[in-house]
Amino acid sequence: MKQVKYISAVLILFSFLSCSKGFLEKEPLVGEVEEGFYKNEDDAIAAINAAYATLQFELTPAGHFRWFWGDIMSDDSEKGGEGDNDQFTLKQLEDFEGPTNTEYLQAEWEANYEGIYRANKVLEKVPGIEMDEQLKNRILGEAKFIRAWFHYNLVVIFGNVPLVDRVLAPSEYATPQSSPAELWPFIEKDLQDAINALPVKSAYSASDLGRITKGAAGALLTKSYLYQKKYAEAKSAAEAIVNSGEYALESDYGYIFTEAGENSSGSIFEIQYMNASGGNWGRNNANEGTFSNIFQRARGQFEGFGFNIPTQDLVDEFGDDPRLPFTVFREGDQMGDRGIFTKDATGGFPHNYYNRKAFNNKSEEAPFGDAAPNGGMNDRVIRYADVLLMLAESAFHTGDLETAKTALNQVRSRVGLEEVEATLENIYHERRVELGMEGHRFHDLVRTDRAEAELDGFVKGVHEIFPIPEFEITKSNGVYSQNPGY
Amino acid sequence: MILLKITLIILIVFTFDSVYSQHTIKGTVFDTEGITLIGANVLEKGTSTGTITDIDGSFSLEVSDKNTSIIVSYIGMQEQEISLNGLSEIQVTLSENANLMDEVVVVGYGTQKRSNISGAVSTVSAEEIASTPVLRIEQAIQGRTAGVQITQNSGSPGSALTVRVRGTGTITNSDPLYVVDGVIVEGMDFLNPNDIENISVLKDAASAAIYGARAANGVVLVTTKTGSKKQGGTISYDTYYGNQAISNKLDLLNAREYAVISNESYINSGSAPFVNLQDPSIFNEGTDWQEAIFQNAPILSHNLSMNGGGEGFNVGLSGGYFLQDGVVGLDKARFKRYTARAVMSYDVKPWMKIGANIGFTNFSRNTLPENNEFTSPIIQALNMDPLTPVTKPDGTYAYSDFVDTDIRNPVNAIENTYNRYLANRVVGSTYGEIKFSDKLKFRSTYSVDATFAVANGFNPLFDLGIGPNDAPTAEKNNVNSVSIGHNTWKNWQWENLGFYNDTFGEHKIGIVFGTSANYNRGEYSGGANTNLPSNDPDDAYISNTVDPIGSQSAYESADEYTFFSYISKVNYDFKDRYLLTASFRADGSSKFGANKRFGYFPSVSAGWVINREEFFNVSAISLLKLRASWGKNGNDRIGNYGFTSVVLNGQNYTFGPGQNITNGAIALTVANPDLQWETTIQSNLGVDVELWDGKLYLSSDVYIKDTKDMLYNAPIPGIVGASAPTRNIGEIRNSGIEFLAQHRGAINEVGYEIGGNVSFLKNEVVFLGGGDPTFSGNTFVQGAVSKTDIGHPIASFFGYETDGIFQTAEEVASAAFQNANTSPGDVRFKDLNNDNVINDEDKTYIGNPSPDMIYGFNGSVNYKGFDFSGFFQGVYGNEIFNASVRYDKIGGNRPASILERWTGPGTSNFEPKVSISDPNNNNRVSDRFIEDGSYLRLKNIQLGYSLPASLLNKVNVSKLRFYVSGQNLLTFTNYSGFDPEIGNRGSLEIGIDRGFYPSSRTVLAGLQLTL
Repeated sequence: MKQVKYISAVLILFSFLSCSKGFLEKEPLVGEVEEGFYKNEDDAIAAINAAYATLQFELTPAGHFRWFWGDIMSDDSEKGGEGDNDQFTLKQLEDFEGPTNTEYLQAEWEANYEGIYRANKVLEKVPGIEMDEQLKNRILGEAKFIRAWFHYNLVVIFGNVPLVDRVLAPSEYATPQSSPAELWPFIEKDLQDAINALPVKSAYSASDLGRITKGAAGALLTKSYLYQKKYAEAKSAAEAIVNSGEYALESDYGYIFTEAGENSSGSIFEIQYMNASGGNWGRNNANEGTFSNIFQRARGQFEGFGFNIPTQDLVDEFGDDPRLPFTVFREGDQMGDRGIFTKDATGGFPHNYYNRKAFNNKSEEAPFGDAAPNGGMNDRVIRYADVLLMLAESAFHTGDLETAKTALNQVRSRVGLEEVEATLENIYHERRVELGMEGHRFHDLVRTDRAEAELDGFVKGVHEIFPIPEFEITKSNGVYSQNPGY
Repeated sequence: MILLKITLIILIVFTFDSVYSQHTIKGTVFDTEGITLIGANVLEKGTSTGTITDIDGSFSLEVSDKNTSIIVSYIGMQEQEISLNGLSEIQVTLSENANLMDEVVVVGYGTQKRSNISGAVSTVSAEEIASTPVLRIEQAIQGRTAGVQITQNSGSPGSALTVRVRGTGTITNSDPLYVVDGVIVEGMDFLNPNDIENISVLKDAASAAIYGARAANGVVLVTTKTGSKKQGGTISYDTYYGNQAISNKLDLLNAREYAVISNESYINSGSAPFVNLQDPSIFNEGTDWQEAIFQNAPILSHNLSMNGGGEGFNVGLSGGYFLQDGVVGLDKARFKRYTARAVMSYDVKPWMKIGANIGFTNFSRNTLPENNEFTSPIIQALNMDPLTPVTKPDGTYAYSDFVDTDIRNPVNAIENTYNRYLANRVVGSTYGEIKFSDKLKFRSTYSVDATFAVANGFNPLFDLGIGPNDAPTAEKNNVNSVSIGHNTWKNWQWENLGFYNDTFGEHKIGIVFGTSANYNRGEYSGGANTNLPSNDPDDAYISNTVDPIGSQSAYESADEYTFFSYISKVNYDFKDRYLLTASFRADGSSKFGANKRFGYFPSVSAGWVINREEFFNVSAISLLKLRASWGKNGNDRIGNYGFTSVVLNGQNYTFGPGQNITNGAIALTVANPDLQWETTIQSNLGVDVELWDGKLYLSSDVYIKDTKDMLYNAPIPGIVGASAPTRNIGEIRNSGIEFLAQHRGAINEVGYEIGGNVSFLKNEVVFLGGGDPTFSGNTFVQGAVSKTDIGHPIASFFGYETDGIFQTAEEVASAAFQNANTSPGDVRFKDLNNDNVINDEDKTYIGNPSPDMIYGFNGSVNYKGFDFSGFFQGVYGNEIFNASVRYDKIGGNRPASILERWTGPGTSNFEPKVSISDPNNNNRVSDRFIEDGSYLRLKNIQLGYSLPASLLNKVNVSKLRFYVSGQNLLTFTNYSGFDPEIGNRGSLEIGIDRGFYPSSRTVLAGLQLTL
């Protein structure tokens, strides 16, 4: 009897002390702790792919599509949608009324820095991995490009932004803004490094199609130079791409903007989207689709939201240019397999035009249960025609009119247009129609000092850049200052 | 064995021997309603001779002397002493124990007499629970406990409730800790209210501190019913059936009025109105969409329980069935629950007792989208235009030509919704208790809480159009889809406790000490597929699709966390006058990094029972007690692995000509290795007064509750590029005062009881890390509605103040600039910073979603077999943001109040002109949408009749009661929506009406039978 008591007392005491150390040490079951990651080649590839994933961000959570800034803010298109109140603050941005706390600014800001964080993570962790050196170099080059791309977006949209060249420690959260003069050299340096490290397009294996190439880095470098009016540097960077022999103009202009025309011969930098796994809602998801298609298709039977409506001014610019029907839909046009464009069919909205370059056929969408299936159209960010026109523009400014004329007319002859002289006016016209509705116009107007003349409400010295998101200024506790004029 | 037999024989001989010198007393024990009491104790005074009453309430006892006294007692009744004076047959009537202070209250790891409690504990008894037929036990607490605010998250059957003990203490998760029969459980959805014996809410830090790290937001202790050793067997059956209906409809535009407003909206914006609306007089009332979606819905309940016990054992079994349909959607919003419960305990040896308590619940809940301005059918019914009929002439559902996207035909939307959540949950514990001596015992309890839940969804094909492209996107679904999700939670807890009680003269001491280990694991898996050849929901299986493999998606994930605690508590009591309780608990949790893993939670409380002092001689006061307590509690309700960086796969990109999805991996959240416990420090002062032998009881508490090191995902600068980690940032203060009063009495044969409680609460954010406010509560009216910042209550409404309507162009010109196109008839917003421009800087705090005061009061009367009771509950001083009207939808319907709109100078100073373009953005977040959320509601009213015992005894029935009951019959409020009791969507989304599923008005009838 007594023994039983003692035995149980011992058992109980034992259980009192039974909290072995391991009991309270739990690591995640799904995913790996960072200390256990970045160990081999597969980890390095997964790390760079995660940085690529941020290129696709466009609704995270509010929209910050490239065409918001490049097209809607310009004279090429208007916001559209259901009415002024549909995405009201976007309309305010378009009218240069300067709302500082809109979610579009906030989302653009966050998405760019998320890409920079991921690229920095690669640049910090991958050098220490034991792996094939050639592959390692390429991955670091890709990361440099991605870091430069997001800084490029930030500098052309916001102007004065913090330069983030590493994964920030909590003590570095108060990093102040840098001026464009400080940001551009950093971007150029990253792109030069990327050019040196990256293979040309043809040197990649087929399964790597879509990865950043030497040509893409060179093209973004050309754009960066041109933005700064460094014409000589822009010209030589563009020439390097032309001389690489890696690119050619696709003979059929309309073909470029079809599903089949993705990554075609003139494609230099294209953000890859596919239709088979949901749209890119939210920040951190695995989905690979784009919302650019549904946002820009007409409403009604075309099942879109009817944003980014081409203006009459843009249409007039074309005249009888054969590229017009591949740029905008006009009433009576067949909208792919979705039917004929009539205002009734769009739900009675008054818009006369829709962006054709973002159109996708219903048959090309994955059959989702979702009432608003997403598209799979790649975003053609930089095409060879863009590089040729940048070459023409920089050659013009450096006085090499012959190169300028050759490059300009190479683009024109593709669509069967007669040769013209390399005047600035002709080059600007060509850019507007060749690259219409592809997200370039606003930035072109700003960098060529034409925005004030072309855009209603635009104030020189203010509206070249947009406001720093109010919330970021608040969080910075006085470290950031708002852009002048806002 | 032989020894035992001999002992028995000796005992029997002795017994027989004494019979001859004794006297037999027979009798029956009744309660005041004349119902016989089974298992009442009958004891001869000054001896250990006693018996209990049998199934008829009668007893027979041999006493030593025909003039001796007997003592009759019964749980919950006042003890009676009766002198026999030679009588051999007596009838005893026991009245209910009116003395609240003698009530035994369940506290952490034990029980205490209320008169000896020095903390702040509220209780709800089984009778109170039984007096209001409810689905979930939180509803039984609502309004009955001072300082505890309970709000339904939705009026739909089976919906969860938000429970806040003394205010919202933290941003992350302010739910209290639930402990059922000693088992820490997640939520109380599995409990059948009929199985509840009582509920205690530990409100102050000292009472809760014994639950340490998880007690910062209060502790709700639930004790379930068990059989009694002293009681014979009883069988009870309870049932009710009722009907629910919507209590009010909103006044919306009819078809004619809609046409008027539509035309005017287009004309005011310079657009041409719809041709077919040009003559509004051709229209009548049009469709009443509220009528179309609201229905009468049944509610019913059956419960059967059997309890009993004998020497050394007791057992109980119960089973229940509950069904409630929704007033919107009927079976599409059905909640159904089966419960089974078994309890038993057995004295294996004089020094050892074992027991088990096992409950099984199966419940299913069909859900419609709710409290969501984009998908809720209620929002669709409120905003669908009245011109569109419910059905087309051919009988199929119609769609609207006037509204777009998410405003759909709600009747069709409900019909095509197939969402079901089904859970099987087992909560059970087994224990063994060893008595080393009368003073010292040990108990080891092992318990499990396992939930196996399945969520099923099916989206069928439908198309309201006649041709393939007629209907708008929202009114057709061209591809059907099916989804399933399995969630499993498996938790176990092992507790080893020692109890030591001793008395030294007038000193009493009680000690509890021990350890508790806890393991939790969650497993989540599921999948989805599209394109099913059959559109029948019964055929909706992932493998039953055109392409079972190719289009299928699947996921699986799991997590776990562990918890280990050292527990200690000491009660000390001198002369029942001076009371002292101290506790200390150390908790370790796997949610924190190695160096921050353990948290330490001390508390102390003291009580002084003044009326027991010799100098005290006010005879009217039977109890006067002062209480004071201080303690520290914790909170660890955050994600599991916040202290480390987790690299997650799935951050993919597509490469290659075939666009192959290629894996990417990154840590999405910054790690915080310094993560540690959130702590709450609370001080409480209280007083209890009982007058005239318990006829009146008064109690009051004041407290200050400070949350420090609040766990919060405070925003970090965007340049970091990753999600903010959970950090220990911020301080919140809740302070308040609570009053409780209860009076019981009788006038002749009419017994009555009235009582009430009221609590005043102030919630304030004291500190938020680096001063970063948090915006929350995004609605369609553009952006955040709520703001959490220093110096204001959590999730206060934040927006513009308005100052009437611009009447003339001069007024527009002279006012601060709003928009280039602002014109007469637009809302004038206040230029608070006087910079002559209306912009963000002019926003201010425009409402508090949390009430200043919550209260409840009840009354009951009984006369002979009749009983009548009523219960009111209310809140005061809170605001509601009414987001149920979709002003962003041009063609949507509007409340009839829009008929009072501005149409010219002097026509209206509160309702702006109607316009489809609205350049002034009149519908930005402003005080126009803020409404008073105060209400007083008659939660329950009940009339019952119990058949007299004299009649029932003949058929061996001890109790038979019939009743009718009405719930939510009356609501007094100024709120213009369906229901002012607006639930929360998380700590930072309080009081926003997004098409809230309203509470129904319920009338039911029931019977209670006990054998």
